[in-house]
Amino acid sequence: MSYLPCGTYFESYKADQQWWRTPFIKSKMILMIIVTVFLFPLLSERYDSQWLSVAYTINYYVLAALGVQLLIGYCGQITLGHAAFVAVGGYCSAMMMLFVPWPQFLLDAGLAYPISIVVSAILAGIWSVLFGLPSARVKGFYLIMTTMAAQWITVPFVITQYVSQIGGRGQSFSLPPGLIKILWWEIDTDIRIYYLSIFLVAICILIMGNLLRSKIGRAWIAIRDNDIAAETMGVNIVGYKLLAFFVAGCFAGVAGSFYISALYAVSPEHYEWFYSLLWVGIILIGGVGSIQGIFFGSAFVVLVFKFLEMGVLFINDQLVEHYPALAYMTTKVIFFREAAFGLAIIFFLMYEPNGLSYRYWQLKNYFNLWPFSYTGKGH
Amino acid sequence: MARRILLLGLTLAIISSWAFAADEIKIGSINDLTGATSDVGKDAALGVRECVDYLNANGGINGKKIKLILNDYGYRVPEAITIYKRMRDRDKVAMLLQWGTGDTEALAAHVNKDKMVTISDSLSAKLCDPKETPYNFIYASDYSTDARAALISWYEGVWKKSDKWKAMRESGKKPKLVCFYQFSAPYSSAPIEAIKDQAKLLDIEVGRDQDVSLVSLDAKSQVLGAKAEDPQVIWHGNTAMSVATAVKDAYALKLGADHITNHWGFDKNFLRMTGAAGEGVIGVAICAFLGMDVPYMDKVVAQTKIGNPNVPFEKRGIRTVQAWLKVTLGANALTKADKEGKLNGPAIKAAMESTKDWTPFNTPNALGSQKLTITPKDHRPSSVVNLYTIKDGKIVLFDTVDVRKKYPDKWDSWLGM
Amino acid sequence: MSRRLKTLIWSLLGLALVFLTVRAIYVNSQLFMQLLVTGIMLGSIFALVALGWVLIYKCSGVLNLAMGELTLVGGYICLTLYSYLISIFVGAATAQAGQTSIVWAFVLALIGTLIAGLLLGLATERLFLRKMIGEPILAVIMVTVGISFFFKGMVFIIWDTDTQMFLPRVFSIEPIVIWGIAIGQVYLWSFIAALVLMAIFVSFFKYTRWGLSMQACADDEMAALSLGVSAKFVYALAWGIAFMAAGVGGTLLGNINGLNYSVSGLGLIVLPVVVFGGLNSVPGAIVGGITIGILQNMAGGYLDYYFPGGVKQIAPFVFMVIFLLFKPYGLWGWERIERV
Repeated sequence: MSYLPCGTYFESYKADQQWWRTPFIKSKMILMIIVTVFLFPLLSERYDSQWLSVAYTINYYVLAALGVQLLIGYCGQITLGHAAFVAVGGYCSAMMMLFVPWPQFLLDAGLAYPISIVVSAILAGIWSVLFGLPSARVKGFYLIMTTMAAQWITVPFVITQYVSQIGGRGQSFSLPPGLIKILWWEIDTDIRIYYLSIFLVAICILIMGNLLRSKIGRAWIAIRDNDIAAETMGVNIVGYKLLAFFVAGCFAGVAGSFYISALYAVSPEHYEWFYSLLWVGIILIGGVGSIQGIFFGSAFVVLVFKFLEMGVLFINDQLVEHYPALAYMTTKVIFFREAAFGLAIIFFLMYEPNGLSYRYWQLKNYFNLWPFSYTGKGH
Repeated sequence: MARRILLLGLTLAIISSWAFAADEIKIGSINDLTGATSDVGKDAALGVRECVDYLNANGGINGKKIKLILNDYGYRVPEAITIYKRMRDRDKVAMLLQWGTGDTEALAAHVNKDKMVTISDSLSAKLCDPKETPYNFIYASDYSTDARAALISWYEGVWKKSDKWKAMRESGKKPKLVCFYQFSAPYSSAPIEAIKDQAKLLDIEVGRDQDVSLVSLDAKSQVLGAKAEDPQVIWHGNTAMSVATAVKDAYALKLGADHITNHWGFDKNFLRMTGAAGEGVIGVAICAFLGMDVPYMDKVVAQTKIGNPNVPFEKRGIRTVQAWLKVTLGANALTKADKEGKLNGPAIKAAMESTKDWTPFNTPNALGSQKLTITPKDHRPSSVVNLYTIKDGKIVLFDTVDVRKKYPDKWDSWLGM
Repeated sequence: MSRRLKTLIWSLLGLALVFLTVRAIYVNSQLFMQLLVTGIMLGSIFALVALGWVLIYKCSGVLNLAMGELTLVGGYICLTLYSYLISIFVGAATAQAGQTSIVWAFVLALIGTLIAGLLLGLATERLFLRKMIGEPILAVIMVTVGISFFFKGMVFIIWDTDTQMFLPRVFSIEPIVIWGIAIGQVYLWSFIAALVLMAIFVSFFKYTRWGLSMQACADDEMAALSLGVSAKFVYALAWGIAFMAAGVGGTLLGNINGLNYSVSGLGLIVLPVVVFGGLNSVPGAIVGGITIGILQNMAGGYLDYYFPGGVKQIAPFVFMVIFLLFKPYGLWGWERIERV
């Protein structure tokens, strides 16, 4: 998390292992908390609330990509089917809200939704372990294939064909407004969704960060670096791999059940394969094996999409307004977004293969030692 | 000085745009230009825009211009929800035009809460029960009624009469129905319950359903699966390109059954794609085909050339006419509500529900529409269905069925089914 | 797993399969044969595209997730060329085109597609993948994903989203009936075309100089380089050939019922195919393609009864996961020996 100038001056182990080790970092983090919790949402609500929805979409991607980062960045298990587990979380939560006969006092206390988040996290974790089982035997490309199979089996088949047919026909569940309640807050406005997302992200990051500092995290990193060596050192690699799949699935479940509060509906299209790829793209863009990287990657992807979309809408309006004869072109403009996004990913990986967090690290290093900086090589 | 003039100009521009804005009524339209149903969706979107242009050129709504905000959602529910929120909060539209069954049903709770009248191209019967979805309206006979009518028409017009089934009919064997549709698509599965119920009423056996995707290019194994059951009639519940695929594969594998299809599966495009395989297919049409001889059709045809001269006329079809039906019905309600000076949700809803024996432009048989009646208790606008068939490579009228007249005692109980 | 247990499971599975097959033939032999034949014919197209995939993997180690979009691009290029040539040959009256001009137009369009595919393949390799040599496997995969987004967007911009057909039809819709099995002419010709092309590709590897240098590079890159084989040339050639194979696959599929985005689903079916055959085995790709083709059709025909819905689409993937548990390197893939 932080890079100290040469020499460490801590007097106790506890001080050395703290999250925020120096007063500078502490004040930086407090400033960040003030901005994210007070300044940004209030300003954004005052002037243009669409940025709130951008912000909670970023947080949703962070939650979802957290598990991908854990699997790929820390445990070395490449996954291309993470949307499946997010889907399990989303559907589990939505169905619990819709079909479980909750006792009235739970509903009144607004505990139904929090309970459903926990349950769906566990269910998604179990589902993830199920598809992580082949990781005991296969790795590399073959593992990628099984995680992809998780996507294809879960979303277009189990969920679309069976789960979404529960309670009558229909692909999408729409939740009646006012159903999602936490304690006494109804999650219905953008700003409340935003706060919920901030809260969940904070908790999940805390869990993940602490897991990584523990025995478990060290075992995962050992498996990532060389699984055979780890095994000879006595690490139970199958157990830890499955644990990684479980924890990643839990984060995905939280992400899924959070996002139904934002849309008040759930349908298989939220969980297409595209998103699995997108989340892997996010950690590649942000930086593999870095928690900050998830934020950078998510923000990058969501903002690029947002700006492309704004551009598309603008061009769309201009065409319709000023060149009605070209209005049929509006059907094409949208695809430029897709193509441009593809190119953005390609060029990012070609010219910035270490991700944004590496640039951030370089930048920080530069200022840390300014004016006597030298360009140190990264990892 | 220059800056002051600029400032003045800017203020004037803002004021004038404000003043102009007060004179316009905003309609939001969510269309599919790029998704699974874009084969029929593009034409419809062009039609919506052209009809709005036509209305604006002919007096608008009590002199106010309609401003259309049309967005593509790619037949994806989440995208539709995002667009809806944008239209509600930023654009503040007075009325919403929607497209698919999935998104219309997903948004039904939202529009009800926000009191936003919406007219959907999804003619799902589920959206016709005001007790469940008070703010959802449709503009023609619903899918279930269409499906019932198609089956009745096949039973009476083909099974009872044709030489093809003579031997079987006289041997006393019951005919068998098999449904081809995408199980998971809300649109395709909407009328299935109704058509099976109708089959029971007509004493037709029902075989196992076959799942054909909306974007499918291969329905061989489904046709083979159906062939094992030896059906006499197939119901196709998808859109034109998928129905064409299934009909062609049925022809190539010599299935031998007759085909009936809902109105999204039956148009000029279908005719072009199927060729010889499409001969004899019976399809529903909720309005006249583009270029047919009915009142106001000339206006529609002329507007396609004014509005979108770059789109070849062969690519346009019945979906344009349908879009006109949808927009004129909405505009009619907006006119009524605006006359009373209350352009809000409940007032527009009341105006919609006072629709009685209405046809577009208040001209009988305009655009080939049936007479539409919408009441606060029943949002099914019509029970009369026109059926067309393909004969010698041309679409010709086959039959007209009034479902309510056939089953007067059952009609009310079918609401919302 | 002990060896004996493994043998037991395998033989039980084999027995069950034989029993089910016999039962299926006994119950409705015509349906069975029909599914089998359709499966083999579709499978040959899968095999063709899988061949292109394996080639890229063998030569340059790139796991290509853009194969589906490549088939789409190829199919559309052929369609455009075909309609253009038809309009030249017979003028405006496309409906009355004679059989000979149709055949000529189609053959020329196919050749044009092959050339265009080769050029596109070379360009893609040069622009996007040359720089990625030696990068981590995941980054390279994501680059191919980016390529697939890019191509998808371009296809939609140029050719739109609705179904387009080869009109006038190249192959008649009337089926040929052999022993009571109706086979579409387009399937038959696709099968033949796929076989011919596969034969051409395989003999290219075996007998030409370029093919041999590709084989050498796949076998041992260092040794090949020291013997004067240009790795860059081999990579470029592999991409060119993959594009060509995908283009032909797209064209053949497009001839069955038309072209739209769902044709690119072929790119995903290819993955179970190569996993089954082994990632770096050319005969594996061919056998795998036909197996998956049969499996898909059988699943559609028989399993749909028990699991309604899209069993057909996911059966290959389920099969793949189960298969991987038993044979992690496919039928003929190279087993990797790992050392610390």
